[in-house]
Amino acid sequence: MGTKMADLDSGQKLLGVPPPPDGVGGGSCSGISTELIRSLTELQELEAVYQRLCGEEKVVERELDALLEQQNTIESKMVTLHRMGPNLQLIEGDAKQLAGMITFTCNLAENVSSKVRQLDLAKNRLYQAIQRADDILDLKFCMDGVQTALRNEDYEQAAAHIHRYLCLDKSVIELSRQGKEGSMIDANLKLLQEAEQRLKAIVTEKFAIATKEGDLPQVERFFKIFPLLGLHEEGLSKFSEYLCKQVASKAEENLLLVLGTDMSDRRAAVIFADTLTLLFEGIARIVETHQPIVETYYGPGRLYTLIKYLQVECDGQVEKVVDKFIKQRDYHQQFRHVQNNLMRNSTSEKIEPRELDPILTEVTLMNARSELYLRFLRKRISSDFEVGDSMASEEVKQEHQKSLDKLLNNCLLSCTMQELIGLYITMEEYFMRETVNKAVALDTFEKGQLTSSMVDDVFYIVKKCIGRALSSSSIDCLCAMINLATTELESDFRDVLCNKLRMGFPATTFQDIQRGVTSAVNIMHSSLQQGKFDTKGIESTDEAKLSFLVTLNNVEVCSENISTLKKTLESDCTKLFNQGIGGEQAQAKFDSCLSDLVAVSNKFRDLLQEGLMELNSTAIKPQVQPWINTFLSVSHNIEEEEFNDYEANDPWVQQFILNLEQQMAEFKASLSPVIYDSLTSLMTSLVAVELEKVVLKSTFNRLGGLQFDKELRSLIAYLTTVTTWTIRDKFARLSQMATILNLERVTEILDYWGANSGPLTWRLTPAEVRQVLALRIDFRSEDIKRLRL
Amino acid sequence: MRSSVMPLGPTVSQDRVITSFPKWYTPAACLQLREHFHGQVSAACQHRNTGTVGLKLSKVVVVGDLYVGKTSLIHRFCKNVFDRDYKATIGVDFEMERFEVAGIPFSLQIWDTAGQEKFKCIASAYYRGAQVIITAFDLTDMQTLEHTRQWLEDALRENEPGACFLFLVGTKKDLLSGAACKQAEAEAVRLANEMQAEYWSVSAKTGENVKAFFSRVAALAFEHSVLQDLERRSSARPQVGDGDIIRMEGHPPETQDSKRPSSPGCC
Repeated sequence: MGTKMADLDSGQKLLGVPPPPDGVGGGSCSGISTELIRSLTELQELEAVYQRLCGEEKVVERELDALLEQQNTIESKMVTLHRMGPNLQLIEGDAKQLAGMITFTCNLAENVSSKVRQLDLAKNRLYQAIQRADDILDLKFCMDGVQTALRNEDYEQAAAHIHRYLCLDKSVIELSRQGKEGSMIDANLKLLQEAEQRLKAIVTEKFAIATKEGDLPQVERFFKIFPLLGLHEEGLSKFSEYLCKQVASKAEENLLLVLGTDMSDRRAAVIFADTLTLLFEGIARIVETHQPIVETYYGPGRLYTLIKYLQVECDGQVEKVVDKFIKQRDYHQQFRHVQNNLMRNSTSEKIEPRELDPILTEVTLMNARSELYLRFLRKRISSDFEVGDSMASEEVKQEHQKSLDKLLNNCLLSCTMQELIGLYITMEEYFMRETVNKAVALDTFEKGQLTSSMVDDVFYIVKKCIGRALSSSSIDCLCAMINLATTELESDFRDVLCNKLRMGFPATTFQDIQRGVTSAVNIMHSSLQQGKFDTKGIESTDEAKLSFLVTLNNVEVCSENISTLKKTLESDCTKLFNQGIGGEQAQAKFDSCLSDLVAVSNKFRDLLQEGLMELNSTAIKPQVQPWINTFLSVSHNIEEEEFNDYEANDPWVQQFILNLEQQMAEFKASLSPVIYDSLTSLMTSLVAVELEKVVLKSTFNRLGGLQFDKELRSLIAYLTTVTTWTIRDKFARLSQMATILNLERVTEILDYWGANSGPLTWRLTPAEVRQVLALRIDFRSEDIKRLRL
Repeated sequence: MRSSVMPLGPTVSQDRVITSFPKWYTPAACLQLREHFHGQVSAACQHRNTGTVGLKLSKVVVVGDLYVGKTSLIHRFCKNVFDRDYKATIGVDFEMERFEVAGIPFSLQIWDTAGQEKFKCIASAYYRGAQVIITAFDLTDMQTLEHTRQWLEDALRENEPGACFLFLVGTKKDLLSGAACKQAEAEAVRLANEMQAEYWSVSAKTGENVKAFFSRVAALAFEHSVLQDLERRSSARPQVGDGDIIRMEGHPPETQDSKRPSSPGCC
């Protein structure tokens, strides 16, 4: 029964008939139990249950039918399966045969390869045997060779034999000693070791002698032998000892020469820098000449060791030179003096900045030379390491890089130079500050020039100081100097200009107005010639005026000069950075300091703007205002006759233009074009604002409006010729007022307003339009009120 | 107006993002007790109305005696390394650290100065224009705390009065026991109050408080920059480039003369 059910199930699955829903069929009992039926007493309930049972019966019957229908298909499948039986037996047999064959083949292969493996082993052992025999022969050969070579004083040959011996596998030797001929080999080895020791002693001794005698070929000869004996460190240290001695003697010679140098010598001012240069060049030459030997006989990556030894000597010699420099040039004393001077309210006598000039140049030159030298070393050692470390791990490379940095950054040379530069910075600051002060004090103005001498002088000085700091090749020094220059320009020098501007542009005197202002200088001259006036008053006012204008020009040139300075520095430094000076952060440092410097340029620009405002309000406004106010005395409520008369005899605008022209001429002559432009721009704004005020105080009729329109047009035409900027925008409101005053009827405004405005953008508010319309006495106020704007 | 060049480049790393205002170290000596951004500032940040602050950087100068661990402190923060090898700083070193404060990019430019007397001349040239001055001392060496007065005075001399945030930082906290640390801190807090500086104890070796400290520095500097910028923009007369974005109206270009779009300052 169980198997049948299983068959049925699989049959169902094969046919894809879904299993009957739960609780309804599929062999399970009906949901209604016999107990339930028995417990029922009511007919109705019984009927209901009967109904349900009938329903269930029908379902079960349907299912049975469906299952019976599948019988055929299942039977036919069974038949096919039965037919497949014999075939399967055939396949099984074949498979077994195949497995047998594979096992056989496998065994065969194992057999073959094991033989090969044995052969290989045998071959390897053979090779080892040959190798050891070779080694033993070599050992013997070396032993004999060393003896002969030593007898013949052919140390190279002897060393080569020892080298061969040292290269032999120690375990081989050990094994050989255990062999039959152990005692002989032992004796040989002992001899060889003795020979090694002897050779070492001889080489050391001979090297020492050669060193003492300064016999370079011999020194080099034995220097080459050291690495063969496995004495790399010793060889390098001994050799560098020899080189150091050479450096030292040369340096001492040079230093003596310095002390004997005549002060009138051409190079006397930079003699210590020259001495350092000679020292560095000497060492560089040594490195240059001996690098190939070291690389060939000691292998790459050894240059660092050699230079490490050499640098100690270099440091010692540098110390001597710098000590002499400090003593002979009174460097520390000068620094202390400067430091005292730099303190505010110091009473000590001031050092003449010019006296510092040579020493500052020398210090920067010294630093530049050391930077160059250190850069040379870095390049050499780095590339040597690179060759040696081509196969090394990242860690080793970093370790090497670190030791290189440590050597070069922490050597006494670096520190000494940093100290010198530290003091230099302070002295250079003093030099800059004092010289700038002097330039300010000696400020002169030449007629015909726009600026006075101090701007050019001050920037020349700043440029010179920064340039000198730059010439030291030290980025820290350069940045420090840029910072100090920024402070100097931003506070001290800006204060000077600021104070000058703060004195203000003197209000124009009565006489000036009467005469009509021509050139301030002219007045001064004419009054001097006539001798009528108390010239002193005018002179000082004129001077004050001129000083104000010149200062304005100065301020403008300052902000320009700063930009130029920045550009120059940038291009100079790009060269420096391209040479690889300074670390990775040098550029960022430099950029940061430079951007601070540029920010000062903006401060000067702000100052200029302030000055111009002052000029506009004290010099232009008081004059322009009365001229504009005369507009009020010209009636714009006129008849045809008056209108025509105005045509012939202009009542206001021509005179106004003339006045403006005369007034601006004075400024045009003594202000730089850029400032003059800004000033005229301020002036036109002023005219526009003031004119608007008086127009709103006047009354017009139709012809008056036309007259005003004409006047405004000629004014705008004039102002357009004197300014380079467009002034239409400033006069837009006035032009629109003129348009309104020119209307035939009140309602005509609607042709220009709102949807009809076309390209015109109204600058007047509706209220203002009404106000302007009301200025026309011939317009009725009711009409204006009625307007819908 | 600093026209600093700030790379707009890659986004800042996650641990440089500051969303809520970093807290003080001790309320006994702190620059401000507020624990959230100034209302105006957070509003400005929300509306991305921070002007040029996002392109700006604040200059931080670190001063103090030699061997108190200025370089170690900076290296711990910027590179997350601690090198036991002592190497004196020559002249000045320089690190740039990018932050994102309240959604706005912001940078600290940290200048590490030499503590050695002989390099002071060169280092002092770098004090100018600092927004933040960090005076460091060694918690295990009270002498160095005494010297902070002088360091601060030197640094302040090169800056406009009241323009800088001051911080007093005790280093090498890991070397001190709890009690000893408390005692040293009490002394330092007293001095910090006198200097009107904010006090922090840190350890570059363990990294304790280092990130929190610099975040605090960045947040304060940032907030100040934004406030300054807002103030400047509201008070300053319009300048070229400060105006609103010029909005072009939909008119044909040939009629532009008569209704040139007005932008303040572009007269």
